[in-house]
Amino acid sequence: MEGGEDKGELFMKSSFWSLTTILIFIVFFFFMIIPVISLFTGSFQTEEGGRFTFENYTSFMKYSSYWRSFSHSIIIGLISALGAILVGVPMGFMVARWNVMGKPIIITLSTLPLMLPTFIAAFAWIILLGRGGIITKYLEALGIQIGSIYGYPGMILVFVSQLYSYVFLMTLSGFSSIDESLEEASRSLGASPMRTFIKVSFPLVLPSILSGALLTFMSAVENFGVPMVIAQQTPNLVVKAYVEFTSEVGKHPGMAYTLSVVLIFITMASLIVQRYYLSKRNFIQAARGKPLVKQLTPGKRVAASAIIYAVLIFTLIPFFVAFILSFMEMRGPVFYPKFSLQSYIYAFERSARPIFNTYFLATVATLASVLIGVPTGYILTRRKSSYSSMLDIVIMLPFVIAGTILGIALITFFNTGWLVLTGTWMILALSYVIRKMPFIARSSASILYQLDPSLDEASISLGVSPMKTFYKVTFRLMMAGIVSGAILSWVTIISELSSTIVLQTPGWSTMTVEMYQGIISDDLGKAAAFSSIMIVSTIIPLLFVTKYFSKEQTPLL
Amino acid sequence: MSIRIVGVSKRFGSLEAVKNVSLEINTGEFFTLLGPSGCGKTTLLRSIAGFNQPEAGEIYFGEKRIDRMSAHKRGIGMVFQNYAVFPHLTVRDNVAYGLKARKVPGQEIGSRVEKTLQMVRLGGMETRLPNQLSGGQLQRVAIARALVIEPQVLLMDEPLSNLDAKLRVEMRGEIRELQRQMKITTVYVTHDQEEALSISDRIAVMNLGVVEQVGKPWEVYSTPTNWFVAGFIGTTNFFEGEWAGPEGQVLVNGVRMKISEQVRPAGGKVFFAIRPEAFKVAGQLTEEERKGMVRLPARVAKVEYLGYMTKYELELGKNLNARMVSYDVLPENLRKEGESVDLFYDPKRVLVY
Repeated sequence: MEGGEDKGELFMKSSFWSLTTILIFIVFFFFMIIPVISLFTGSFQTEEGGRFTFENYTSFMKYSSYWRSFSHSIIIGLISALGAILVGVPMGFMVARWNVMGKPIIITLSTLPLMLPTFIAAFAWIILLGRGGIITKYLEALGIQIGSIYGYPGMILVFVSQLYSYVFLMTLSGFSSIDESLEEASRSLGASPMRTFIKVSFPLVLPSILSGALLTFMSAVENFGVPMVIAQQTPNLVVKAYVEFTSEVGKHPGMAYTLSVVLIFITMASLIVQRYYLSKRNFIQAARGKPLVKQLTPGKRVAASAIIYAVLIFTLIPFFVAFILSFMEMRGPVFYPKFSLQSYIYAFERSARPIFNTYFLATVATLASVLIGVPTGYILTRRKSSYSSMLDIVIMLPFVIAGTILGIALITFFNTGWLVLTGTWMILALSYVIRKMPFIARSSASILYQLDPSLDEASISLGVSPMKTFYKVTFRLMMAGIVSGAILSWVTIISELSSTIVLQTPGWSTMTVEMYQGIISDDLGKAAAFSSIMIVSTIIPLLFVTKYFSKEQTPLL
Repeated sequence: MSIRIVGVSKRFGSLEAVKNVSLEINTGEFFTLLGPSGCGKTTLLRSIAGFNQPEAGEIYFGEKRIDRMSAHKRGIGMVFQNYAVFPHLTVRDNVAYGLKARKVPGQEIGSRVEKTLQMVRLGGMETRLPNQLSGGQLQRVAIARALVIEPQVLLMDEPLSNLDAKLRVEMRGEIRELQRQMKITTVYVTHDQEEALSISDRIAVMNLGVVEQVGKPWEVYSTPTNWFVAGFIGTTNFFEGEWAGPEGQVLVNGVRMKISEQVRPAGGKVFFAIRPEAFKVAGQLTEEERKGMVRLPARVAKVEYLGYMTKYELELGKNLNARMVSYDVLPENLRKEGESVDLFYDPKRVLVY
């Protein structure tokens, strides 16, 4: 009977999505939540394993080397966030409100540092301003002594110059979105432009600015490569956890777990502030009139544009340096100003495998993230249920867990038992999928939010079954967003160091690991060569995305 | 294709959106569901379309029961409030979409699409993309897309509410013309009572999930069966008073008005309504006409001259005002503020509840 058979179809469709939701939830639960919980439980165990104890935590608070790492993390995070505000807010205002030249270029260039590994910048600044740095030596010859770049100065320089764009992009978006009529109303009531700015515009943009600053804070706190390279004397929590973990071979690394837990609390607190405090205060709505872009006089326009481009070039200096160095001849740890492909040849000969690994792992992980992330995004927008709300919370968790910590958790949990992944490439791919899939899910969800559900219904009303409608209409319209999201994920995966460094094994090293080891062991030619390969592998896909996809997706969500 | 809705109820959680509604819609009829937001008209339309499942009741297209059928098999054509034109397809591909799904041969698709686009006055726009079209044009694409498949039933969910006022009036006439030409049974949802009166064969006035009255436009306008319908359709003067004495007189705020020919016992509350156009002034009536009417002294409180008609607000007594419209706009017949006039109305045109 017709009624019966269609009821069966309906049932199958709704239970299909319920099953999928539960399945994704279970996957995340097993591969992320449980390993992280084991970190928590592990932090309460002694070195010999077993007894429940608080002694790890008391050690944490007692020994200055431990709680100093905590304060280093927080202080560096805060200073970096502040620096990002000082640089990003004025820039964001200028680009939003003045007719500076080449806005699309500015935006693309500002996104680059966020895509590339931050420790390349650390490495390059050491080449320039370190003890034996090129600029250092040059200034010494002139009799000028600059201070040491190691420690705080270097970290702040690197973090601010590489992460400022979080604040810049959020500020830009904020100032561009204020309804023009709000400012006009203020002026019509007798407020001067300055007063209007202070009392109306700025408060409206403030939540966006602070969200960007928060992202900067979290990135700085979670960073592994930069402190390891440029601040060995003042390690942050991530570095300390890593060191504890790798040094306690055979023993239960309780301290490492403890430090990991502290870090998770910091990042979780940051995320809670973001979600519940800042996003509720965001009053910017879809404006009916975009704010006026002030047309500057030619002189002022050139000056303003010049300032912005100067800042951009400064932030990209490290990458130029790395690029140029890679083509220079090396004798020992010293570079000679002669053109040579020596570093590249050396890199390809000795480390061809890591290059392959990087691309392979990134591709596999991206595909898996898309396969899991897109249906998740669909579930979050179109198939809401009590399960989907839980899923929403669960996929936020990877934002809270620093890469290195996730690596530690995974390697511990999958070391024994029925599923041994430690030592295989799969654990690397797993860590990437866990960290990137939420991004794909969120960007799919935001695309779907903007898609009118009536489009699906229109297709169904015209005689196309719901399944076919998904392919012909919904999926087709999501394609562009999915592809650009996938490319962005791929690009950020190849730059990943913080979890890779923990999870890699001989045979499954990646380019970032090779670079890192090159820096640590003063094999600078190798480091420079891989940096260049990395830079090119990042820029080309990014150019492709910006050229063919009109809406630029920032990696913020 | 006739539509029969039998005892349909639909709830969302604890909200009963549609309560036991039964309607019969004739083949080729332009049938409107009219009511304020939340009355259940859209929910009922979507039940007919198949986008929600009623908890109780049956829906038939002709003799065939369709309420358990999947939406895409019902053979409907639907026009949505926000057009829902596929943004990634050209006008031609949008309109051809349903035909392609029905595996109509290519040549036939081409000719049918062209003919339908001509009908909605979009000839020549085949290759345009939706982001190049105005709101009115998009709505026409949506209509063409639904009509080209020659559905047995056409469903329209407030298709004109996103257009500006002038376009709305223009388009509603065009929609009515198209429907007359193609003779498709149409169910139309709107909250705009003027629109409903203007284009419908019959209207079902709905409120809070229930059908208050079904009838032709003039029926719901001049003989509304209850308070709600009287208030929703057109503008009305509402009065509340007490029966007071012989021959259907009432006392309203101290003013005596006769509203019925029948004798009613004194006491007892009564609600009644008089349309603004039911009031006349002496100069507009002949001696004969005046005989059957009731006289009511009043004072002109406000005058609103609109060119083709004049709206008056009249004071009938303390705290008792009424509105009147007059199409008699000869300058010598215009009343001024503060003037005392005699109003006349026919007690047969009073709606008593």
